[in-house]
This record gives sequence, C-alpha cells and structure tokens, in this order.
Amino acid sequence: MRFRRLTVPLLAALAFAAVAAQAGAQPCLIFVHGKQTDTNTYTSYTSARNYWVNGSNDFIKTATKNFATSYYVVGYNGTRPYWEPQAAGEVANEIVNATNGGADGGGHRCAKTYAQGGTFWVVAHSMGGTIMDYILGNNDSTDPNFNANGPYDQVAQRLSLAIAVGGAHRGSQGADAVCLNSNVLCSFIAIFIQSCDDATYWLRSSDDVQVRTFSNAPAKTVYLTGGYEAIFGASACLNGEDDGVVQYASIFACNGSATASYDNTNVCNNSNKQEASGFRNLDAAHENHSDERDASDSDTRKAIPGGNWTCSGSPCAPNTTVATMTTAQYITLLY
Amino acid sequence: MIDAKKKMALAMVMLAAPTLGLRPAAAQIVPGQLARETAKDYREAARYPASSHALKKGDADPIRAKRLPTRQTRRGPDEAEPALSVWAAKVSFEKGQPVDLYATLDNRGKAVAPADLAGEIVDGNGGIVALVAYRDDGQGPDRKAGDRVYSARWKPEGLEAPQAASYMVRVKARLADGDLRQAAGGFLYSDPSAHLTGRYRDALRDGNLVISAEVDVAEAGRFHLAGTLYAASGDPVGFAQNALNLEPGKHWIDLAYYGLMFHERQAAGPYRLGALALSTTTRMPNALNDLVEDAYVTRSYRVQQMRADSFERPELIEAAKRLEMDAERAEREAREPQKQ
Repeated sequence: MRFRRLTVPLLAALAFAAVAAQAGAQPCLIFVHGKQTDTNTYTSYTSARNYWVNGSNDFIKTATKNFATSYYVVGYNGTRPYWEPQAAGEVANEIVNATNGGADGGGHRCAKTYAQGGTFWVVAHSMGGTIMDYILGNNDSTDPNFNANGPYDQVAQRLSLAIAVGGAHRGSQGADAVCLNSNVLCSFIAIFIQSCDDATYWLRSSDDVQVRTFSNAPAKTVYLTGGYEAIFGASACLNGEDDGVVQYASIFACNGSATASYDNTNVCNNSNKQEASGFRNLDAAHENHSDERDASDSDTRKAIPGGNWTCSGSPCAPNTTVATMTTAQYITLLY
Repeated sequence: MIDAKKKMALAMVMLAAPTLGLRPAAAQIVPGQLARETAKDYREAARYPASSHALKKGDADPIRAKRLPTRQTRRGPDEAEPALSVWAAKVSFEKGQPVDLYATLDNRGKAVAPADLAGEIVDGNGGIVALVAYRDDGQGPDRKAGDRVYSARWKPEGLEAPQAASYMVRVKARLADGDLRQAAGGFLYSDPSAHLTGRYRDALRDGNLVISAEVDVAEAGRFHLAGTLYAASGDPVGFAQNALNLEPGKHWIDLAYYGLMFHERQAAGPYRLGALALSTTTRMPNALNDLVEDAYVTRSYRVQQMRADSFERPELIEAAKRLEMDAERAEREAREPQKQ
C-alpha cells in the first residue's frame, strides 16, 4: 500500500516531466484564426479557441499532439481589413507576447521564451494567412509599411516559420461574389463571409486590395496547404479547385491572376509565387474551408508540385494520394 | 500499480495517436526535413541585407510583376462558359489620369460578343460613384474596333479622395441568350505626396553600388522607393529598396545594391535602373506613383570594385541555428521513437 502511494505520484511526476521536456524542445505553435462575421474572437478568448473546435474534434489538441506541445491562441478582429490595427496590429502584438512567455486569454503560454532559445511556428487559417503575409512582408525598416501598427520586426525575428492553411493570400473569389451581390448561389460562403464588410472588401481578388501590393516577400517562410473539397453551391463561384471559400490560386499564393484555375497536378510550384521568395508548397487535402481548421474530416491528402511528401526517396508526383489524415494530424508530422 | 501502468501506457498511446494517420507505405514526410530545409533557405538569404538581394537570370522583375494588372475571371454557375474577365489598365492611377478599364467574354479561348456590357465603380463604403459602358468601337481607350476586347474610360472629377483609395469595378455582361455574367475588378486611385524629379546619381559606398533618386515632396510623410537593376546584357542583377520619412522639399533617396550580387552575376557596369517604383506609405492604402521604366544608366564599374563578402544577416542566422536544432531533435525522435 505504501509502495503504491509512493509510486503513483512518482509516475505522475515523471510523466509530467517527460511532457514538459518534450514541450520545451518542440516549437511552440501559435494559432491565428481566419475571417469572422463578428468581433467575438477579438473580445472573447473562448470564441477564438472554439474557432478550432467542432464537437469532439479539436484542431489544436490534435496539432499539439494532445497538448504535449505548448501553444498560444491569438484572437483578433476578423471583421476589419487585414492591415488594420485590430487585425495585423493585434496579431503582431499577441505573437510577441507569446514569444515573451506571456499567456493567451486562456492562460496557455509557450514553454520557452525567445530569450530562452524557444522556437515558434505560426499556424494560420484563411485570412490569418493574409495577415501573416502583411506582417512578415513589412518587418524591415526599408519595407513599405514597416511596423505599421505593431512590432512586425520582432515577429519576423522570432518566428521560425508559418504554416498557412487555406490561406487567402491572393484574396477570395467568395469575397468577390459577396461584394458583387451575386452570392445567392454561394450560400455556404456566408459562414465565413456574410456581407461585403471591410474585411471582405479587402479580401477580393483584384490587385488594388492584394496584400502583395502593400508588402514585400515574407521574412520567414510561409508554408502552404489547403483543401480541395468542394462545397455545394459555393464552389460554383470559384475557379479551379477550391475549398469552398478560397480558390487554389490564392491558397497556394500563385503569381499572375488570382482567379486562374488550378488543380493538384498544375498548381503553381515554388518558383511561381506571388513573391520571388518566402512561399513554399506542402500538400493538399480533401477538406473544405471549415474542415481545414477543426480537424473534423480525416480524408485523402494529395501531393502537389513542390510539396514535401516523399515517395521512395523522391518528391511524390503531383496528385499522388499520400495519406488519409486531417490537416491537424499532418502538422504533427512537420515537427 | 497495474492500474497506474495501464494509465501511463494509455497516455503514451494517446500522445502518439494523432500522428497515426493512414498513408501508403511509400509516401512519407521525412522527419526534421521541413526545419532543415527552412534553415538552409535562411542561410542562403542571410547573405544579403533585407533591403537588397540578387536576381537570377530569367527571374521576373519583382517590381513590374506587382504593377502589372491581372485579370479577374468569373464563369457562370457550375463554371458555365463563357467567362467574363475584367481588368484595369494599371494597378494604380495617379490623380488626374483617366481610368481605363477592359473586359472580355471568352468561351474556352474563343472571344464572344455580349448583348450588353456595363460597369459600376464603387468606393470602399459601397457607394456607386460612376457608371461606365464598355465598347469595342476603336474609340478612346479602345485600341481596336471589333477585337472583342471591350473598353471603358472613367474620368474622375471632384473626388474628395484621401491620399489613396481603392475602387471596385462591378461588371455585368448580358449574353445573347439573356443569361448574365458578373465579375469584380478594381484599381487604386492615388494622390502621392512626392514625385521623382528625374535626377539621379550613382556612387560606390562600402563596396555597394548606391543609386540615388531625387524626389520632390509636397507633404510630409513616409516614402518607399524600390528599383531593379540590370546589366548591359539585359539580364537582371538585383533589387534594392529604401523608405524614409521626409519633410516637404527636395530630397535624395538612396538605393544600395549589395556588392555581392555583382560578383555572383559576374556583371560589370554600366548598369540600368530597369524599373523604379515610388510610393507614399504614410498610411494604408499606399499611394502608388506610376512605374518609371529605364530611369537611369550608371557609370562603368568593375566587379572587383564591389564587396564580395556575405552580409550574414544575424536574425536569419539565428533562426537557422534554432531550426537546425529542431531538425536534429525530430530526426533523433524518429530514430529512437521509444524514448519519446
């Protein structure tokens, strides 16, 4: 009895120590959500956290290997243009807070600070990708919008890399449809894009609102993955493969027209991005825009040009089925 | 005791569970590869300062690429043809310039004629500021009659616009069968607070080529200048940018092309400033001046006059070191999974 009393706490302590050591050695994951139709994720941590949850499915729990890896959840005003203080400014400040060891709204903090040698990876969904492009492309004093409304330079210094999931790097044809008042056929888009509000206006696919018009190549690499599961109705408004809200040309940050049609075989490779450097392909998943961020659809994953799946020692041919798993599970393979 | 062991084993399985997705045996993600390759990229990029980098032969001009207007194309329901494509003559028009807009209807590569083609120009608040009709009559902005590239011109007058504003162009095409196609384009309308005077000079400074451009500032603000440099052969050499806060009056803005790029490209001078872009970046949206092509040709220089050392940008070197440690850990864990 005495042995048992001593052993159980000892094992628990060892388990805690093991988890803590692992967390200390792995990158802290910083989650940046996407477009919102209200300000809830900005005003409520619970809303920001729940962005990544669908019932019992939890993107953050999965991506952090059951919370073994430390994490931080960012909440910003997803109704404002990507470049505004409550969007890019808030995200930049929160990322720096995370790297300083500060807690997010739920009390979660990175296991190591930047000063202690910690590494930090951002996982951004949808408009979160656009915001990261703006921050990381305006981090130097010679950039057009250097530190416009936040410490972009510190963000760029301290992040190791970013992973954009279904990122709206070149805007969204869903936003075009909503701002054209022709979204009757695109009803599902309303979950993310309800009206042509300010954020939506700045997520259109024309050059005057594109993040690349107002920034340089990202200072740290932005890795690209996204879904190709159509959404009935919504996908009819988007060119080529899409996740029901964002078309491939945007998810994979392609150069040229943001409305060009691409699929898994021909989506732009790493030499044909919206910037000459700083964007790299990962893979594509049979997930829609909602599945991508809540780990609710463990489905087929496909290789794409310039992606990171290896088949028998060589890059897998584009459109090869490489796995069946959620994007959150896939992220666990990357670190 | 047994219960505790079971709980521990269960906990370990749960920790590993998320990584147990199904995949073909042949396809894999190499552990640590992402971190290692990212680190390699950073060490490569660290050879240059953030303000300047080399361009490779065959690279697209990064400044021109951003100023080249792209087409926004939209089909009918379920990607039905024909597709309506819309675009503006420029990404940004300077105050006083007419705004030329274009549209085509295209059925799998074959141009078709609409029954009617019209556009609304909408400001950022959703207000319609103008209606335009697209024509294919060879008049005004329309380059050739009957080529099925439809053109419209808007002459903004009396706009109380800020330094720069974004305008959306909502275009509707009525097809011959009565069906409708819609597409959304847009443009910036800019009133920059500074302009290039056309005076340039060049010098060697610390082994770097510095090209200075004179600007005339009408209103205090922040100004960004970027330029691409070409060799006499026509091949691209490099990119440089700078940004300064300036008061009204005439000022010089320097673009410093880091010396290493001339060694890597083995390019002796004179050099041509191929694309030069000034913008007022005091606030968003930025006000873009018209792109200046072939603005200036420098004096002759020998490659040996340029510095050949790597810049070793510290923040990228540090990031690379940390990523390499991440990669080592991931590789170690993959080799010894039982110790995880």
